[in-house]
Amino acid sequence: MSRCQVVCAAILVTGSLWAQSAGTPGYDINYIGPRMADPILQHSKEMYVLYGCTYCHGLYLESRGEATDLMHSRLVGRDENANLIGPLLRAGIPQTAKLSPMPQFSDLSDQQISAIATWIHYARQQGRYKELMEGKDLSSGSAEAGKAYFERTCISCHSMPGDLTRDPGALRASILRPKFLDTPASWQIDRLRDTKTAAARERHLALLENYSADDVANLIAYLSVK
Amino acid sequence: MMTALTRRDFGKCALAGLTASAWAQPAAAVNRSFISGVQFGLQPFCYHDLAMNRENRPTLVKRLVQNGFGMVELHATWCEPRFDAPGVSAEMAREKLRNWRVTTPVDYYRNIKKEFDDAGVTIFTYWVGINETYTDAEIDATYEAAKALGAKGAVGSQGLAVSQRLVPFTAKHGIFTGLHNHDNLSDPDALSNEASFDKGLAYSPNFKATLDVRHFTAGNGDCIGFLERHHERVSSVHLGDRRRNNGRSAPFGEGDAPIIQILRLIRDNRWPIVALLEFEHGTLRTGVEEVQLMFDYCKRALA
Repeated sequence: MSRCQVVCAAILVTGSLWAQSAGTPGYDINYIGPRMADPILQHSKEMYVLYGCTYCHGLYLESRGEATDLMHSRLVGRDENANLIGPLLRAGIPQTAKLSPMPQFSDLSDQQISAIATWIHYARQQGRYKELMEGKDLSSGSAEAGKAYFERTCISCHSMPGDLTRDPGALRASILRPKFLDTPASWQIDRLRDTKTAAARERHLALLENYSADDVANLIAYLSVK
Repeated sequence: MMTALTRRDFGKCALAGLTASAWAQPAAAVNRSFISGVQFGLQPFCYHDLAMNRENRPTLVKRLVQNGFGMVELHATWCEPRFDAPGVSAEMAREKLRNWRVTTPVDYYRNIKKEFDDAGVTIFTYWVGINETYTDAEIDATYEAAKALGAKGAVGSQGLAVSQRLVPFTAKHGIFTGLHNHDNLSDPDALSNEASFDKGLAYSPNFKATLDVRHFTAGNGDCIGFLERHHERVSSVHLGDRRRNNGRSAPFGEGDAPIIQILRLIRDNRWPIVALLEFEHGTLRTGVEEVQLMFDYCKRALA
């Protein structure tokens, strides 16, 4: 690389970094964060911000005041593709003991509702992963309870978890977030038709949103001695 | 804008300005956000990217000036320390805050007032979420703090029962108590519609309505009719937009709140009602950019 090319590259990198930190007019990078690599997630985040959800529920579902804690809400945990979040958003919660009722968003399109739900689930998955990774003592689990959980929830796909690591910390990471979840989404037709992987992805992300710290400790106790 | 006015027009505006800004201004000064006969201010909750704490107060002052505001409704969290921390229970943090409130000297608040005074910003009202956990000493200290800040009133979203408890304090301290509404129509204790304001305002002549036109609209209230009937008991409006039927917040002009009509009503009747801009609709813009858009919308409404 010539000196000129090096200088040009340095200018480009510096310019890009400056643009990231300074943001662009009309986009509050300090509040919304840098644009995400996945445009669908970015769009979902923007819809969540644009319709004012952040004021009460926080951008990353930080619990605020009297608003429902979406990070730990059972309804969110049971939601699939906005089947529970959607109707609730459309109707609001006018009857409430809280100071300010949850407004209704009846004028939003299905796509907009879906985008908001997508962001809620994504933020919840990120938050729950962090929470569970920082969670309780891994040695406190019950192998028996872990076995029961495994047979109830995992065994239909994972009959022989023999290739799992025995290190509790690494095991926890792979239980919570198996590596295949980090494979970037593709819109290639053959990938879209891979319903098995798509279903596994959905299943693991739903589990991530609903594991308790006890569930994880119990699974580790069971799998690390297997 | 000013250059387009004739001397006679300017005289009229200045007269109206002195009336409208009489809440908070010495007679000689005209507040920088007194625009076309309406005194504007900001409920700085709008700066959604700025945590409402003591540390960010200097930034708040800068932003108010940047957006052209000379009046503010100051939330207590801009003045008070936070005691919640890892290992500190909610009860313990609450007790520490209570102790801090009742032991903090008024000079602490006078110094805060000076920060705003130096920037040409008047603290119109002090926003405090007084509730049933407040002791009498704490309420007393809160009103004392509001006075030291130079505020003309202490405002909150307390319900009717707590409001009744405030009657002797507002009388003792000689500042008004602002009753702020949400749109909870299912709670008989909540300030939400005209009937609830009728009840609340009847408790004391020192009580004033802080009419939140967004929530009043979402509760299917008639803002214009309310102002027509109760303007003498209205200290300020929280000016923003929402849709009816418990609808969502919306950018100014995209909801059902009659923002332009309210502003013109205040201007044309020379009512000393402060228009405090506030919004909760989402935006991808910075708080400063969005506030400016809203403020410009209001200025156009009065042009």
